[in-house]
Amino acid sequence: MGSRASRLLREEEIEEIKKETGFSHSQITRLYSRFTSLDKGENGTLSREDFQRIPELAINPLGDRIINAFFPEGEDQVNFRGFMRTLAHFRPIEDNEKNKNTSATEPLNSRTNKLLFAFRLYDLDRDDKISRDELLQVLRMMVGVNISDEQLGSIADRTIQEADTNGDSCISFNEFIKVLEKVDVEQKMSIRFLH
Amino acid sequence: MPPKRKNDAIIQAEDVGMEVDATLDSGSEDEARRRSKNRRAKAQRKKKQVSDDEDDEEDEDEAPRKRGRRKRTKPQDSDQDDEEDKRRVRQKGAKASRRKAANEERDEESEEDQGKRKKGGRAASKQEKEDQNKEKKGNVKGKDETNKGSEKDKKKKNGKQSSSPVSSSEDESDEESMSEGEIAALKEQVEEKKKLIATLRNKPWRMQRRLVLLKEAQEFVEKFEGALGKGRGKKLYAFKVMMTKKLIKFNRDFENFKTACIPWERKIKEVESHFGSSVASYFIFLRWMYGLNLILFGFMFGLVVLPEVLMGLPYGSIPRKTVPRSEQDTAMDFSVLFDFGGYCKYSILFYGYYNNERTIGVLKFRLPLSYLLTGVGIFGYSLMVVIRTMARNANEGGDGGDEGEFTFSWKMFTSWDYLIGNPETADNKYASITTSFKESIVDEKENQKDENIHLRRFLRILANIMILCCLGGSGYLIYFVVKRSQDFAKMDPASLTWFQKNEVEFVMSLLGLVCPPLFETIAELEDYHPRIALKWQLGRIFALFLGNLYTFLFALFDEVNAKLETEQELKNATEWAIHEYNANYSSYYNTTDVPPLVVNPADAVRGPCWETAVGIEFVKLIVSDMQVTFLTILIGDFGRAITVRFLNYCWCWDLEAGIPSYAEFDISGNVLGLIFNQGMIWMGAFYAPGLVGLNVLRLLTSMYFQCWAVMACNVPHERVFKASRSNNFYMGLLLLVLFLSLLPVVYTIMTLPPSFDCGPFSGQDRMYDVVMETITQDLPAFMGTIFTYATNPGLIMPAVLLMVLAIYYLNTVSKGYQQANLDLKKKMKMARDEEKNRRNNKDSTNQVMKDLEDLLPNKSLIPPPTEEELPHDIIIEKGSRSTKMKPGSAGKGVNLQKEVSLAAPNPRRPVAHPPRARGGPPGHLRGPLPGPGRGRGRGAPPRT
Repeated sequence: MGSRASRLLREEEIEEIKKETGFSHSQITRLYSRFTSLDKGENGTLSREDFQRIPELAINPLGDRIINAFFPEGEDQVNFRGFMRTLAHFRPIEDNEKNKNTSATEPLNSRTNKLLFAFRLYDLDRDDKISRDELLQVLRMMVGVNISDEQLGSIADRTIQEADTNGDSCISFNEFIKVLEKVDVEQKMSIRFLH
Repeated sequence: MPPKRKNDAIIQAEDVGMEVDATLDSGSEDEARRRSKNRRAKAQRKKKQVSDDEDDEEDEDEAPRKRGRRKRTKPQDSDQDDEEDKRRVRQKGAKASRRKAANEERDEESEEDQGKRKKGGRAASKQEKEDQNKEKKGNVKGKDETNKGSEKDKKKKNGKQSSSPVSSSEDESDEESMSEGEIAALKEQVEEKKKLIATLRNKPWRMQRRLVLLKEAQEFVEKFEGALGKGRGKKLYAFKVMMTKKLIKFNRDFENFKTACIPWERKIKEVESHFGSSVASYFIFLRWMYGLNLILFGFMFGLVVLPEVLMGLPYGSIPRKTVPRSEQDTAMDFSVLFDFGGYCKYSILFYGYYNNERTIGVLKFRLPLSYLLTGVGIFGYSLMVVIRTMARNANEGGDGGDEGEFTFSWKMFTSWDYLIGNPETADNKYASITTSFKESIVDEKENQKDENIHLRRFLRILANIMILCCLGGSGYLIYFVVKRSQDFAKMDPASLTWFQKNEVEFVMSLLGLVCPPLFETIAELEDYHPRIALKWQLGRIFALFLGNLYTFLFALFDEVNAKLETEQELKNATEWAIHEYNANYSSYYNTTDVPPLVVNPADAVRGPCWETAVGIEFVKLIVSDMQVTFLTILIGDFGRAITVRFLNYCWCWDLEAGIPSYAEFDISGNVLGLIFNQGMIWMGAFYAPGLVGLNVLRLLTSMYFQCWAVMACNVPHERVFKASRSNNFYMGLLLLVLFLSLLPVVYTIMTLPPSFDCGPFSGQDRMYDVVMETITQDLPAFMGTIFTYATNPGLIMPAVLLMVLAIYYLNTVSKGYQQANLDLKKKMKMARDEEKNRRNNKDSTNQVMKDLEDLLPNKSLIPPPTEEELPHDIIIEKGSRSTKMKPGSAGKGVNLQKEVSLAAPNPRRPVAHPPRARGGPPGHLRGPLPGPGRGRGRGAPPRT
């Protein structure tokens, strides 16, 4: 559906997206207009270049990783559905959703999914583990050349040492969750989407 | 999720609503309502156990007709045999009726329960799937509707509790039709509410309850009528919605605005990101100090300086406001003005200028009193502010070292602020992440360091001895210099060199310049963590400055005493001269009517006015301190940076990386400079009201100047360390200085006689006599008596005792709170652990919690569940409806439930019958209707 170059969103698509992501109708239409304005190629999909034009992402040392997160593996285009699916990770958890625990599938904006999203930013090779090398790469992105390699190495070592519980010198997703247990991820990884 | 719930109910109501009244012929409306409510409640409880019901519920909303069939195929109703079904139905009916009676007794229940019950009502109604029952079911639901309004309100009030268990049973299918359904539901409710309001008068409820319900209903109608786009609320509602939105936006903007209004926040952030929190802590302290001084300046200026300027006598009118004839020639010379002599000395900047008239101007402003109170008030206010800030900071806790387990991981995973959109901010954030990593590395290294403890101890002791020697030496040096300067002061000023005149300031500044680096070098021996080292350094320099300050003060007191003597002589001489004049005049003209002696103010004989002299000393000290600070920055930092930068091109070794390098920002020196400067201000402000204004200027310039200097010429510390933003150590030092500077001022106010010919207190024995005078003359007599009593030692002693007791008590209380805090922390940790467990095993724990909630309010009333059932033909239909409500089904429920919860059987009991109702459900007084509503007859108070 995303490949359609149509300017308008069909109702049923909105319904589907609503169901999948939990966004409200008006949020979806609003985000769609944002999507189309980002879409310079006007082909209904966004490319990496489209994302890189967003200043917040351009200056973010981890911007590339974030942009990466929008794209399914092996693809370099993302349609509106996929765009929304990624954004849904950042939808705030509403009060009435917190108590909701019976539904079969976890919503995209659950704590676990938010954390998983963050985890993927660091897991460069998508093997569900953050290795020392991956940490070093990310660190390099974050601090540039201001800190010596040796020190960066020791930071990475320390980080793994802190987080690693099973002794495989990697940070698995479970260990990642444990590390960020006390961080208010639900709040921090939420964006106030306009209603 | 209330809207969804409403939605369900509404749909049902719409299906069957018209039949409501038809079946109600034999019972009053509220009776039926009670019953229906009751039934719902029971059903709700049942529902929790019998989780299969949830499916049914949703089905029912969409396709009520299908339900019947489906329901019966469910395991709990698996007996498909009609006969058996019927039999069961009867039993249940009997039980239900008993239960109903019980419920009527227990009508006063918690609102949450009602909310749940209502929800449950639907579940219950589903169960009447038999075709012949369909209509009746409809009725019941219809009745539910009438009740719904009030319940809904309640639900709204305790929204979360009531909605949480219910929402768990909601399905996605509901969500789809939410918006339209919601509106329909709302409409219905509003109608209900209106109806309720209209009929409330007829209801057999207690007045209190009626009032409550009425209020709720009215509020509800008010609130939601507009939302439906009808009634007079429409415009109001639209307006309200608009205003709410505007308000939210405004609040957000206002928050932003407030943040933007914090002065220098950007500058400080920039410095912080490049130099770390330790350097930033100095600037934050500077900013805080600026704020404080601004307020002090406001007091001083508004209550003392401005009234004197506006209403006091102008310059030249009286001797104290005139430059004496002998000084007039040089009064405008720059060198004189720069030393605050000449016109400066006889200006509002200093104590001596102020007149001792009791009241000035048309406002009858009591300037002397105001002067004294402001002088003391400045101390009072500062003390209050400092202590309050300290207390607030103490709450924030921590001295900057973070103690979390995952320091690096957190920095790693959570440090970037993803909302940054400004490239400059991004650069800063970039730098600050790097800095924070460096800080962590330093902390980390410190933890890992293992050392030769004996050597370390020896070195530390050695360092302390050396520093003590330095301190003693500098103290003596200052004392010596001050003594010498007193000798110089007796000589002719013209014969002195500039150095001799400014020896004290020079030596003090020099010591301030030399000693801190010396201490820092010595402190290298100790090898503390930089954060601790900074504190030591601060303490030592503090001692140095303190020694200096006090030697300075003692010297000043010597000077003051000398001045007091000369003043006394002068005063006697003047008095004698006036006496002589009078005598001569009267003998010459042979009259006792002596006209006052007319002397040009510039020629009048005047005393040395020691207060002004003290004021001038302080002002000079501040100014020279400022000069030294700025020059140090300019030469030591800027000059050095320029030299290093440009000479590097033509030098034989790398200047930037090698020996001179760039300067680091000297936190300890700057902080202490600031603190002592403030001490001077506090002490000097009484003698030189203009000093506070001068200080405000100084702080302002130094904020900009230092911010610039630090960004332009300094390099970050080699070992960047983390300091908290609210540094209580600084505050502690400040408090100490404040207290110390309070002493001399209070001493002078209480014991030294003010000069006889200058200042607002001239003519008084002691400065505080102004207060006494005001009390006796201006306040009513009884106030004076009160003050006399209040100053009686007999009263003061108990007061002091009382205060000591209060301190003791408060101290004990605070200890108790600390203990409580610790306990709470422990509890929180336990709660976290529990939370973890819960996450693993979500549903079952939630179930337990839900059931506990149900259980609690009614616990005491629970009779044991009875299994015997009396079949009653009369209530067959009803019974069939309540299949799931009987207590016996608890056992059944357990089988059906996914998770067996501990409290599962219990919540059903409160709804169960009380013993007495069992006897005659059919003939019960309040249950004349053997109809469907009966079993649910609960909720409304029947005993009105």
